[in-house]
Amino acid sequence: MSNRGDHRGQPGPHPELLAEVAKAAEIVAPLWPLTSFVAVNPLLGLQRLSFDDATAVARRWLRARTHLTFAGFRQAHRRGTSTDADLRRAIVALAPELTAPPGLEIGGRAVDAVEIVRLDLLVGPDDTPRDTSRDRVGRTGVATVRAVSELVAAWCAVFVDEAGVPWPMPLREDGFFRAWRELAPHDRRLRRLAGPTGVQWLAQLPDRPVEALAVSLDALGVEGDRVEALREHLGRLPGWAGYARWNDEWAPPDHHRPQLRLVDLLAAQVAATAAAAHGTAAQQPPQDKGRLVEDGLLEQRAAAVLAELDGPSDDAVGAAVRGVLAQVSPPVRKAMWLEAQEGNFRDRLLGLLSRPDPGPVSERPDVQAAFCIDARSEGLVRHLEACGPYDTFGFAGFFGVPVRWRPLGSTESQPRCPPLVPSRHEVAEQAVVAEEAPGYLAARRAAGAAHEAFHAPKGSLGGPFALAEAGGYILGPVAAARTLAPGVVRRLKELTGRRAAPPPTRPAVEAELDESSGLALEERVLFAETIVRTMGLTRFARLVVLCGHGSHNVNNPHASSYDCGACGGAPGGSSARVAVAILNDPGVRAGLEERDIMVPGDTRFVAAQHDTVSDVVRILDREAVPQSHERLVEAFERDIAVAGARLARERAGRLPGNAGKVRVRGHDWAQVRPEWGLAGNAAFVVGPRSITAGLDLACRVFLHSYDAEGDVDGTALETIMTAPLVVGQWISAQYYFSAVDPDQFGAGDKTLHNPVGGIGVVLGEGGDLQVGLPAQAVGVGERRMHEPLRLLAAIQAPLERTEAIIQRNQVLRELIGGRWITIAGRSPGDVAWSIRSPSGTWATWSPADGSVDHANASLEVR
Amino acid sequence: MSWEGLAPMAKIEVVVDGDQVPAVRELFVEAGCTGYTGVSGVSGFGHHGHHQGRLLFNDRASLSMLITVVPEDRVPTLVAGLARFLEDHHGVFFVTETHVSRPSYFR
Repeated sequence: MSNRGDHRGQPGPHPELLAEVAKAAEIVAPLWPLTSFVAVNPLLGLQRLSFDDATAVARRWLRARTHLTFAGFRQAHRRGTSTDADLRRAIVALAPELTAPPGLEIGGRAVDAVEIVRLDLLVGPDDTPRDTSRDRVGRTGVATVRAVSELVAAWCAVFVDEAGVPWPMPLREDGFFRAWRELAPHDRRLRRLAGPTGVQWLAQLPDRPVEALAVSLDALGVEGDRVEALREHLGRLPGWAGYARWNDEWAPPDHHRPQLRLVDLLAAQVAATAAAAHGTAAQQPPQDKGRLVEDGLLEQRAAAVLAELDGPSDDAVGAAVRGVLAQVSPPVRKAMWLEAQEGNFRDRLLGLLSRPDPGPVSERPDVQAAFCIDARSEGLVRHLEACGPYDTFGFAGFFGVPVRWRPLGSTESQPRCPPLVPSRHEVAEQAVVAEEAPGYLAARRAAGAAHEAFHAPKGSLGGPFALAEAGGYILGPVAAARTLAPGVVRRLKELTGRRAAPPPTRPAVEAELDESSGLALEERVLFAETIVRTMGLTRFARLVVLCGHGSHNVNNPHASSYDCGACGGAPGGSSARVAVAILNDPGVRAGLEERDIMVPGDTRFVAAQHDTVSDVVRILDREAVPQSHERLVEAFERDIAVAGARLARERAGRLPGNAGKVRVRGHDWAQVRPEWGLAGNAAFVVGPRSITAGLDLACRVFLHSYDAEGDVDGTALETIMTAPLVVGQWISAQYYFSAVDPDQFGAGDKTLHNPVGGIGVVLGEGGDLQVGLPAQAVGVGERRMHEPLRLLAAIQAPLERTEAIIQRNQVLRELIGGRWITIAGRSPGDVAWSIRSPSGTWATWSPADGSVDHANASLEVR
Repeated sequence: MSWEGLAPMAKIEVVVDGDQVPAVRELFVEAGCTGYTGVSGVSGFGHHGHHQGRLLFNDRASLSMLITVVPEDRVPTLVAGLARFLEDHHGVFFVTETHVSRPSYFR
């Protein structure tokens, strides 16, 4: 027995074991339910480590690829995502010691160490992952852990599944572990694995999950670091473990689905493993094969380089080449490739941005329009500005109002803000004319009942057959129409939708009028001030449009991943409506005046929503537009329609399939790529729109407005860097990892998805919950639409202000110091950009190859 | 030091990253703590440099302080858990003697 505070395997409190569970869980990120899909860095729990260290941990425990393969890097290199100059710069940046040794004479060529490494990157063999098949967990092998994890995954799905299940899992209210332990002995797979003695052993385990976990670890003979044993189990089910983490740490208090807790999941995994190992004799620990693989690899690398140089294979030259290559370990080779490709993109973006900032036009614009920072908005903004003198802004799509939104007639509300922000206020949607609501709601309930009556038989054993028999004559042609003519179906739906349209509604933002909804005046003024100052709105047009975004697509479990991440994975129209209601409030305007923000009396805010599948932008609450602003709104509607059409044509060039149908892809229930979403995202620009206006950024850049002059104390910049930039990095990392390993970090092949309990998908008949994005969201076959790059943030603000904010915020020190994000900065008035090193020094940016015209570079994904 | 009518207890204050708060709460509950007080948006300066206080749109990135009071016999178990948790996390904890007027609240 150990002398630790919590006695291993004994009844009583086990805070030390819980601490170890928390440490072990760092290898998995929380996984949000699909209904509010939130992009998250799959290595979020390891972000306190550097990118290189965190990815090493992920390779070890998740058995995941954390970089492209060499073949992938080289293929991208051939397409122009990096050049030889980029490679040389990256090699020197990551291994500066290689510039010191004198050159070698090989095959009649003078070759320096950097060139040897460059050739190794281009022609050397890929490294082989460490063989883990003979690893041990206490007295048992990892093969048992794998078998047990598959079994436990099936029980997880049963536990959480509420949707359409006529026979829910018994004892679910007792928690996952207790219910599983009672029922699992009836599972033939467990009986085969554990045998009668193992099943009997399972039955005598303590009732409390943490105690059962302690006893099971003891029974497995886990000595020393229990964190490693726990990681071995969690690494087998990162999806279910991630969902359990979400339950433990992020679920809202009113969340009422069955709560899968991490300690329950681990208790079941480890107990089943111990049961399976019960009575089996200990085996000899295997030899460590990792070192042997690496030694062989070095020989192969040197041979490949020598062959490329037509060099002799004599010992002296070979030894010299091996000596150089030995300084660059396999993980550093991949890091060099990544650095080279990021450097290439950095040169292109900063080349485009290296021009004087012309500043804003002086006269008051007729219309200002603010869009979400989402990279898809960049295209819409660009095309809108080409239609007329629009003054545009980028702002997180919840428009600074973190509320829970309760739709008309609903008793439940959903957060409409980023997960980092608590939503303390609820805003209800109310009918403008209260008497119009009951009739509409009654009709909607009837339609809902009919829908339920149709779908309910699908959950029973024989129901689908009877349903097909009875309704096939109608459903068959409908299914054919949805497949063959989604555009026609869309128009029919629009027609029927108009007949069942809701009455005009408004967000009830005034808490003084209705205690159950809205915010107090003082809070509304505070939010309004935040919107104005953070966005850098120093003057106001007669019409100011706040445009959120959503994505209409059908038959898609990942539909919410295309919606607004800043609105909690929901369409952003409601957030825009709430912000507009606040900013049009005369009481709020008066409060703003007291804070030296003068909004002219003729300024009217209007909400809109951009459908990113069709690129149609709709003005919301259209009937509430006053006559005085009708002409401006009509003109905006005309121009935004033109901009949307142009953007749709532009996007059609990037999507596979019929370009003419790009705007109706969302209505096609067989379409696996309704749009590209945020695929391709690579940078985050903070500054006035004037620094990016007129540039084609290919929908790859988050644009956040910022006016350094109006933010003397840096509060607005600090808000941008600690919230939208952090969320941008989550999105960037999710796309990065989904692209480099679609099976481990992504959701695999979409055509195999099987939704589970409304919270996630599994592949085929079962297994782990899939994390990340489907393979179809990041590429087409071998063609990758998302270049896996870490986020580049370009910030126009006084460098000392940017640096001070980094220094006083740990989250930024970790992200930037750990190379999760690269920061470029320039002070207002400067033309040249500087790059911040992870250690905190700033150096003026210059491209790897000065002969390339970066001022006219293309950012299109290559 | 003693105060008439007050019962001696131990006060444990933990300062951790905002996103570590749920894990620390679990440790408290497991160790038998009957309650705690949380203060979010804590600022300061320490081993890892400056820590900004409350941030406008990020409740998870700033530090939080959790304060609990337990009978002294529960301190070793809780301390072992906290020490293990903070082995490779940012954060500190302090244990001090304290006195309470309603000891039954903390047992």
